[in-house]
Formats: sequence, structure tokens, C-alpha cells
Amino acid sequence: MTDIHKTIVVTGVGIASPYGIGLNCLQAGMLSGKSCLARTKDLYPGFEGTTAQIHELAPLPKTFSSRYSRTDQLAVVAVADAIANSGCDRAIFRESGVVMANTVGGLTEIDTGLAEGPSEWYRRPGGLLRGTSYPFAHVADAVGAHFGIRGPSCAISVACASGAIAIALAADMLLDGAAPMILAGGSDPLCPFTLSGFNSLRALDPNPCSPFDQNRKGLNLGEGSAVLILETLAAATARDANILAVLRGWAMNNDAFHSTAPQTQGSGLADCIRLSMEMAEISSDEIGYVNAHGTGTPLNDIAEANAYETAFRGRNSPIPVSSTKSYFGHCLGAAGALEAAVTIMAVCSGALLPTLRLTDPIESPSVDWLRGKVRRQPLPLAMSVSSGFGGSNTALIFASGRS
Amino acid sequence: MTPNLPPVTITGIGSVSPYGALAGLIPQCALEPTSITAWTTAGLRRAFLVQPFRPAGVVPGLKTRRLDRLSAWALVASSLAFKDAGIDLCQMDRSRVAVVFATAFGCVDLTEAFYLSAAAHGWSGTDPSTFPETLPSAPASHVSMFHGLRGPNVTVSNKYFAGEIALIQAASLLRHGQADLAIVLAGDALARTLYSWYEVAGLLSPACYNSDLLSEAGGFIPSEGIAALVMESAKHEDSRSNAHTYGRIHSGRWTAGGQPVEVMRQMLGDFVPILTVCSGNGAPCATSPTSALAREICGDRTVIILPQPVALGLAGTGALFHLILALSTRPTNGQALFLATAANSGFAALLLELL
Repeated sequence: MTDIHKTIVVTGVGIASPYGIGLNCLQAGMLSGKSCLARTKDLYPGFEGTTAQIHELAPLPKTFSSRYSRTDQLAVVAVADAIANSGCDRAIFRESGVVMANTVGGLTEIDTGLAEGPSEWYRRPGGLLRGTSYPFAHVADAVGAHFGIRGPSCAISVACASGAIAIALAADMLLDGAAPMILAGGSDPLCPFTLSGFNSLRALDPNPCSPFDQNRKGLNLGEGSAVLILETLAAATARDANILAVLRGWAMNNDAFHSTAPQTQGSGLADCIRLSMEMAEISSDEIGYVNAHGTGTPLNDIAEANAYETAFRGRNSPIPVSSTKSYFGHCLGAAGALEAAVTIMAVCSGALLPTLRLTDPIESPSVDWLRGKVRRQPLPLAMSVSSGFGGSNTALIFASGRS
Repeated sequence: MTPNLPPVTITGIGSVSPYGALAGLIPQCALEPTSITAWTTAGLRRAFLVQPFRPAGVVPGLKTRRLDRLSAWALVASSLAFKDAGIDLCQMDRSRVAVVFATAFGCVDLTEAFYLSAAAHGWSGTDPSTFPETLPSAPASHVSMFHGLRGPNVTVSNKYFAGEIALIQAASLLRHGQADLAIVLAGDALARTLYSWYEVAGLLSPACYNSDLLSEAGGFIPSEGIAALVMESAKHEDSRSNAHTYGRIHSGRWTAGGQPVEVMRQMLGDFVPILTVCSGNGAPCATSPTSALAREICGDRTVIILPQPVALGLAGTGALFHLILALSTRPTNGQALFLATAANSGFAALLLELL
């Protein structure tokens, strides 16, 4: 029997993505098969590649004593959208918690001149304020200050698993009674620092990426933000909230293997998937779809395919899997939250999005690689999987709110 | 974290700080800031600094050559904390060990180095080995890799209460059965860009510029270092015959606003703390209001241990040092409230039982 005090539900979703603002915009764009990945030049001098950019982002009114970085700006836009999506007045969020993930923080506000001569750089007009936005905690502060939220607030940074981990930790916090509701998600912009870093690692595909394809060549970076409004079922029903989805299970672990490479056999990720299903008290047959991490790098995708082989072996039918990074790139600290939103979209609509440009998939008998057309089927439960540099893995299991 | 859940215990302490690399409590001694030599300064500049040391000299076999100082310190401090706890990780199910790390600024040394390499060679010519080590989560990842810890691995931050949040989140993971044991770390390294920000913002103490002035001269003296605590679920601790318990965490709260007195009285329930350990946010003006708040909550008879400058200099990640330094004063056993406030940005509080 469901314990309404221990069941975590999603009552709002906010999105800032290359498709535009809002879940509807994201859903319409993805269902149409449109990819936001495009040739990009000069994000730093000499850069030429493929990214997914948000071209129009309205400036925010000045209500925060510090400077908004682009990371902050994306987060604030997504939170505003989540609040609008929930249909609630802002005032209801006053005692809420904020758990915001990112990896870039205020690096967008800084240039090489800071490292060359910090004192002079800070003395330039606006220099100190630019420096203030550097810590990755600033994003959570900016959200709290902008919306007048005064519950527990913190930032998470666990590389590319950050956004999913923020959601998992927020769920734990709700079970602890730390706040009546929590706004949890991630935000990350494109910036020269990370583009240069991934470029130096030769991890970027110059063309639109092809996750899980035998001929995949790397990832494309994107930018965006996604925020979920989480609360207990008891709280949501008490205020007659519209329940979009139920977070049935979540798990986090670490490969303890390598700084940048996943454990080759995907054993850490397979364990993480198993732990999330144990928490949800379900068998692997009950999962109808996995939204994969699927970056398109040679190392990630084979490890992930191996993880699915281990975690879903013995099912009655192969597990349907797709990577939606083929639509809007890898949004780093926002990726896990954006893909959680895509997974919620799937359980709400029963529409399983294919991986774009997947022509020759990795051989994996336990996996049904989704490609070609959108598949429509009843989808009681779906999983979103995230991994990151340093070996962190996260799995989130969602059910439709109608359940 | 609600007050009614089973407590979690602190069974090991390790630190890398201006006091050195230490397992267990920190010997009581007065510490003065030392001169900055890592970068060229216009005249004397002082801070509480970790003196250079060879990590492999403390933890045999440790390789830290390409790592940020913060990652290297995390490896040393975590090793010392496990040693202090008497834990042989080889005998443990390491998929049940979590890492929770708090940092305000992350790996600033290598972030600076990455920017300098971009300045020298262009953004197309940056060093691939440096980039992954600039991530704020790199120290926590290295702790997992070095010790083979396969449980949850989380890096958290908050402008004022990052250390307190790490303790509360680790306790939550233990209580929800997502781990049996957690290594909690908090700290930051002091880099040129950070020190310069404090300086240009006018936040530094006169003692940073004048060696004749003591650290008590007032103002903010930046500090660096990392502290580590081993935390165990009560069930796990009971299964170890050699466990030494420093304290038990009963509950914890933090908020970005609201009424601290009301929330903390609710949190304390029937507990009446006999000791209050006050933290702060690095700003000298924060300590006095925190003490006053503690007095208002706990009454006049409560013993208050004030924060020490070395821990205050760590700003948002000083909580673990505040706690270790307070425990090192050998306070009376009993219940303690560990409290931090930041004037307009809320408060954090943990209720501990000292043993």
C-alpha cells in the first residue's frame, strides 16, 4: 500500500532548452524529429563544431544584488517556467527548498585576464560582481533570491550526473521533512572553458552526434536548464495539485574507476540501475523505456550498453533505449534534469522518442535501440540514467501521475 | 533531517590544515597566519596556509602529481580519518560507503592554470590532463577511486553552510539506507584569484598585511585546508568492536531564511543543549550575532565555544574544522548545538551528542 508521506511526486516541470521555454515546446520540437544541433563558429577564437545553443534568452530584471551569470539566468528562467507549469502562485514556494546542479557556475563571466592579473581584473568596472558569481553555489542563491524562496538551498556539482543527483538528493530531503516542496534540477550554459576542455580531450564530434552507433565519434555540447517541483504525495493531494509523475525509485553510486572513463563493463551503472529498481520494488520487466545517458563518445556508449546487458538480461523482451542528447546535445550539469523531464514526458504521453542518426547500433541483445519513428505504447514506468566524469552514476524511475 | 530518526555517529577524524596533516583531534596551540609565497605579492600578504608537504610521506603509495591541491588534501585527509576510525576498507563492502564533499570554490589552482594555458596557447591549445581536474567534484571522485568507494558520491555547496549541508546530507544517506558509512569532507584551497577578490573587496584583516599584528586583530584572515569525518549508521558502528565514537548527530536543519529561534526550538524538541559550538561565515560581524542567537535559544547557563580564526577563514566550508577544533577543546560530554548563521542568508544547525 502506498505511503503518501514517503511517495515523491512531480507537480511541475520547467524547461529552458534550445527548443525554447517550456515542456510543451520541448515536446513539440522533439516529437517533430527536429534536432537543435547546428554548426557553430567562434564560441572561442578558432572554435568550429556542432553545438545546441539557446539563441534568445530575455534579460532578467535586476532583483538580485549580485550579477546573474548565464548559468543563473537559465536556472531562473526554468524555475519561473516550472512555477507557471504548476499553476501555483509564487507565494506557495516561499518555504520551499532549492537544489540546483551545475558544473560551469560563473565561468561564463570570467576570461583569461583574471588568471593573468586578478587584482587589476577585479578593479575593472563590474569585476568584483563578476567574480561573485563564480562559485557553483551561486546558482541556488540566485534562484532563492529571485523568487524569495527561503527554505534549505544548496548546489550540487557531480559532473554530468549533477542534474539527476540533485533530483535524488531533493527526494531524500523531502523524506527527511526538510521542506514542504523542493525545486530541483540543473542548469549549464555553453562556455569557452568547457568547450575547450572537451575539445582538448578529443571528446567532441565535429558533426551532429550519433549515440550508440557503431560509428559514433563523440559528443556535442548543448546548454539549458530543467527544474522539477517535487513534493510528497501527501502534500500534493492536500493542496489538490496536478500530479504529473511519481518518482518511484532513485539510486546513486560510483564506479571508483577512472577520472574520465566509465568502467568498461558498465558494472557500476548496472548496479545503480538494480538499486533503483530495488527501491521502487519492481522487476526489470516493468521498466518500459530507458532514457540513456548516451553521450555518443566511444567509451561511454559501449560501457552503457554493457550495463544494460547486465541490468536487463533475462527480461521477457529487450529494453527500449534511446539517447535524447542526439536532439539537444550534452547539457552537462543540466543533462540529468533535462532527461528526467523527457522521461516524464514519455510516461505522460506514451511516446518513446528514437535516437536520431542511429543507423548501425551497438550489438546488444538485451537492448531494443529506438530509432526511426516515434513509438507509441502504454508506458507505466520509465527510467532516466545519468553518468559523469569521476564515475558517478544515477538512475531515476518515473511513473505517470495518473498511476 | 527530523529529530526522531536514529542518530548517526562520528567515528573518525582526519585533516590537512595549517596545523598540518593529522589523524584525530587537533592539538591545542595558537596559530598565526604565515606569509604567502606561492605567488608574487606587492608587499607582505598573510593567510592561514597549509605548509607544503609530500602526500606520499603521509599516505604511502599516494600519487598526486597531476592533481589539484584540494584533491591531494582530500585523499590525505580521508585516509587519516579512516585510520583514526580504525576502519580497514578491505574488510568492508565498499559499495556501501558514500563520499560527501563540500567546497565553495572547487579546484581553483588548476582552474587558474587552465585559464593561464588558454592565455598562453589559446583556447584551442589547453591541456587535456588539466581539464577534468578543474571540476569541483574532482576531489570527491579521487577519494572514491583511491579507496575504491562505490557508494553515492556527491559534491555540495552553499555560500555559507556548505560544510553543515555535507554533514546533513551524509546523515540522510545513512538514515535512508543508501550507505552504511560515509566519508564527509569539506574545505577549500586559497589561490591568488580568491585572495585578490577578498583584498579588492576590502574584506581582509590588518593582520594579513602586518606581521606584528595578531590574528585577533579583527577582520577576515583567509584560510585553507580540508577536514574529513567518518560517519556511520548506528547499526554499522555497533557491528564494529573497535569503533571509537566522537559524537552522534541527532538532527540538522538549514534554511536560507526564516526565523532561526522558532525553527531550532522545534528541532531541539525536548533536548536542552548544555554546550553550543558557534560557527560563522568568515565575516567577523557574524560571530557575535551567532553567539547571541545561541544564548537566546539555549539560555544563560549554556557553555559557548567560539569559533577559531583558522576555521573562520574557510568561510562556507569551515564547519568540519569548527567541529573538530571544538571537540579538541575536550568539552564536557552531553548534548551540543552546533550553530552557524549568516545575517541575511539563514542559518544551519546540528544537534550533537558528545561522547
